[in-house]
Amino acid sequence: MDPLVYVLDLIVFIGIFGIMSLSLNLEFGFAGLANFGKVAFFLVGAYTYAILSEIGVPFYFCLITGALISAMVGFLVSLPTLRLREDYLAIVILTFGEILRVVVKSERWIGGGVWGMAVSPAISIAGASARVGALVNIGLVYLCLVICFLVVQLLTNSPYGRVMRAIREDEIAAEVLGKDRAKYRAQVFALGSAIAGLAGGLYAQYIQFIDPYMFMPMVTFTVWIMVILGGPANNWGALLGAALVMLFDRGTTIAKDYLALAIDPINLQYILFGVLIILILLYRPQGLLRESKVKTKAIDRVGHERRATKNKGS
Amino acid sequence: MVEVNWAQVFFNSAVTGSLYLIGAVGLTLTYGLSRFPNFAHAEFIALGAFIGYLVAEQLGLGFLAALAVAFLVTGTIGVLCYRGIFQPLSEGGASIIHLMVASIALGFVLRYSIGALWGWKPSYFTTTWASFEIGPLRFTGLWLWLIFAAIALALAMHFVLVRTKIGKAIRATSSNPELALASGINVNRVILITWFIGAGLAAIAGIFRAADTQIWPMTGWDIILPMFAVAILGGIGNFYGSIVAAFIIGMAENLGVVALISFGLSTEYRTAIAFLILIITLIVKPQGLAMLFRRA
Repeated sequence: MDPLVYVLDLIVFIGIFGIMSLSLNLEFGFAGLANFGKVAFFLVGAYTYAILSEIGVPFYFCLITGALISAMVGFLVSLPTLRLREDYLAIVILTFGEILRVVVKSERWIGGGVWGMAVSPAISIAGASARVGALVNIGLVYLCLVICFLVVQLLTNSPYGRVMRAIREDEIAAEVLGKDRAKYRAQVFALGSAIAGLAGGLYAQYIQFIDPYMFMPMVTFTVWIMVILGGPANNWGALLGAALVMLFDRGTTIAKDYLALAIDPINLQYILFGVLIILILLYRPQGLLRESKVKTKAIDRVGHERRATKNKGS
Repeated sequence: MVEVNWAQVFFNSAVTGSLYLIGAVGLTLTYGLSRFPNFAHAEFIALGAFIGYLVAEQLGLGFLAALAVAFLVTGTIGVLCYRGIFQPLSEGGASIIHLMVASIALGFVLRYSIGALWGWKPSYFTTTWASFEIGPLRFTGLWLWLIFAAIALALAMHFVLVRTKIGKAIRATSSNPELALASGINVNRVILITWFIGAGLAAIAGIFRAADTQIWPMTGWDIILPMFAVAILGGIGNFYGSIVAAFIIGMAENLGVVALISFGLSTEYRTAIAFLILIITLIVKPQGLAMLFRRA
């Protein structure tokens, strides 16, 4: 394979999983929701894209519809589940994802069942080389990534984001202040699912093929590794985590092809991921980057005044 | 209309239920005591199956030796995992989400270590089991052993929980850890013993499952969600509830297959039946059948 295409391909993957990581970070990092079924919404986005693009719908419309349907599914799933305890929520959503996968596996009319289906790329330029194709995808994926990043970053630093963190820290206190936690959680869940659906659509059109085996619970846990590693409740951390995990993943693929190791590098990779996550949880639960601090004008002013009085005092 | 062999359907339900009961006991008891769902329980099942495979097939020491060795080794590994990972985490004040993520990470370590040691290609137990045919019923000796093991387990656990000091300590700690501690129960020891028994029983379930179908590193993941369904339908931490729940889930899966065929749907949906029961229980009545069994 052309080494440049290899690098470009890696960059595309970092972008797509960066979007997934941002979405889980919004749900888990900021709102404290244990979404163990991320892959379900990734799947909805991917299948929506594939089915719509097959009947000739333009790609941007496929992507947006995928995100919207995913948001709707997320919202519907959230309705009965958001008042559940964290562990129940996690088990229900994990199971929901598996049910969804069983459905697309058994129903041949949805994306060809176990055989999967071919997906046409979003932007195909006649006679373009693999390099140009990858570059076009980088443009598309990173445009989406920047939009998602801005949305999530602005939202989490707004008064809305502070309510989310408040609910995460202390549900009862937030409720006493009149914040309806179920409402906020449902909204966060819908937005997180929309972002994951968008990532799913981008993934489907980039790989140009989908089948049910691409949507195993493993995908969910890979995204969890990214968020835990990078630092929950820090959007830069989520992106850093995605980049590190994807680089590591490529590294092991190269190691598999070129090094003669006693142990299969793919096994070794997941053993190391597991050990790494356990060590992070034990010794640095905040991840590589700390939670971004709440910034408001009021906090800035209080800070200034405090410093001012301190200076006067000394 | 499809001709249904009802005797066989009910017998199969008992077989499925027995397997789920043996596997789910550890899941539900550790969930009840340590207060988080241990997703690595799936890997205790797979690890037990592979240790059994090593003893029975690769060393040729027979099926009973396989069960005994797998029980002891996997139980010990379960205790070590609790001591090394989950105990320090919960003492450090980790949230339930962190504990769940840690259990998934532990699952990675165990599953891919199994993959590195034994490979990812499915293997099969070569032990041949006598097969019987009584009227319309067809079954193998393995299934009889499985049902026998489940009944023996139910009786033994009942005896332990009701009659012995450690059993009473387990029930006390499960229902109120602070009060148990204040009453002079060594809560830590109780939890360790429960993890030992739970992981050991997972190994037994793994061997039966592997001997009945195939064995590969995902052997545990293939059946962990139905076992969660059993643990939750039975009421978390409730042994008697999980006996009933195991047979309800076993029955639902086997009757479900009959229903799926008669509706002309894919039998792939078989697994989805237990999943649906799991979701509905959690949404409608998260305490499961526990209200029926107040003593446990």
